[in-house]
Amino acid sequence: MNSSSPADADGTSAPPLVAPASVGVSATGICKEFGDHAALTDVTLDVDVGEVVSVIGPSGAGKTTLLRCINMLEIPTSGRVTVGDVVLEAVDGQLQQPRSVLAALRRSAGMVFQSFNLFPHLTVLRNVAMPQERVLGRSREEAEASSLALLERVGLREKAHAYPERCSGGQQQRVAIARALALKPAVMLFDEPTSALDPEVGAEILAIMRELAADGMTMIVATHEMSFAKEASDRIVVMVDGRIIEAGAPAEVIHNPSHERTRRFLRAVLNR
Amino acid sequence: MGDELSHILPGLRDTAIITCGAYLIGAVLGAFVAAARRVRRRPVRLLAWSLVELVRAVPVLVWLFLVFYGLPQYGISFSPVVAATLTLGVIASSYLSEIYRGGLAAIGRGQWDASAALGLSRRDTALRVIVPQTLRVSGPAMAGYGIWLLKDSALASTIGVVELTYRASAEAQSTGKGMTVFAIVGVIYLLLGLPLALASRSVDRRMRSRWSMS
Repeated sequence: MNSSSPADADGTSAPPLVAPASVGVSATGICKEFGDHAALTDVTLDVDVGEVVSVIGPSGAGKTTLLRCINMLEIPTSGRVTVGDVVLEAVDGQLQQPRSVLAALRRSAGMVFQSFNLFPHLTVLRNVAMPQERVLGRSREEAEASSLALLERVGLREKAHAYPERCSGGQQQRVAIARALALKPAVMLFDEPTSALDPEVGAEILAIMRELAADGMTMIVATHEMSFAKEASDRIVVMVDGRIIEAGAPAEVIHNPSHERTRRFLRAVLNR
Repeated sequence: MGDELSHILPGLRDTAIITCGAYLIGAVLGAFVAAARRVRRRPVRLLAWSLVELVRAVPVLVWLFLVFYGLPQYGISFSPVVAATLTLGVIASSYLSEIYRGGLAAIGRGQWDASAALGLSRRDTALRVIVPQTLRVSGPAMAGYGIWLLKDSALASTIGVVELTYRASAEAQSTGKGMTVFAIVGVIYLLLGLPLALASRSVDRRMRSRWSMS
């Protein structure tokens, strides 16, 4: 495999080994094709350390695929992803770096899913502790102590020994957030974390996310929650048909969108 | 009746060896076959599928004869116990692989996504996330197959393994008390299988009360 000639859109050659310290996350020239359908076309997104970016846009615009490409749950057809000092590049749908680099990337990026995806055979406590033991090599005592502290923080200490089945959707999502945070990620990716929840339950999740943002966590949030996008994020990115068509300060994008497709989308969500 | 029983019971040893040995081989080999049926390369999937179908299409008895009477033609010969254990083990692997496959199919994509996103290694994903959930779904069917295998082990008598059924038929011939003898051996199989069935049921119930697959 010839890795010295990546056909990057911006014509850059080999990726730098160490990214600039100010770069939290950077996705460069991401393309993703499923068969002959282009889910993402040349998407570039740079997120600073501590920045909160909301990705909005109609269903099928590629928001989820973009997040899944950032932590390589989907290997992009081409493009480069940098998280902290970990750099991964895909050419022709093949990763150019060994699996150890992929593992480092996944360790640095926490992800929260629309459907929670807790492990049903483990208690809430074990859901949060097990990955710490396996991924960070923490002892069981250490992992469970830090898990209890995190569960306390998301208000679920008393559910520690319950199985996920015995938890409501909102509780499960809070556990999922604790589970991801437990690995001390450099960035948190939220894939429509409230879409499967009732609005008032979703509000609890959004409150936790606001706290996280206030604490300085770097976050990329795919969402339909315009109030969160507007009030809690530093920047809004609008995606349509697998491309970023507009990006800017929340007030700017929401009140003064420059793109007709953005106006149409905002009218639809704001009048809902 | 005590006499007949004492003549049959020593056969328990080979019945146990064949059943446990074959199940063990089948359980391990079956996992590889089930994994082979999920790999990305189509030829591998096709090969695994063909093997499973081939093994299941031919009667167990014919496989036993092929291995025990057929392979020596090419200089490969096993003792009756080994031939029976290996043959039943390979057959078990194809049935168990199908049972695993059903369990694997019940695991949603979200579980794989979450494991990968957390950075769990392939090994940890398999051992800590996928296998426990697969067993949860496949457990009852696996126990059920164990009972089938116990009963199929009787076929080993046809290649001269001195297990329960072999001893029973020898005893029937020498005493003429066929009904007594085969009723005894039938009850022995029943008593061997029953604990397995009961244990599987109680484990299934206990787990069901704690968590189920969403």
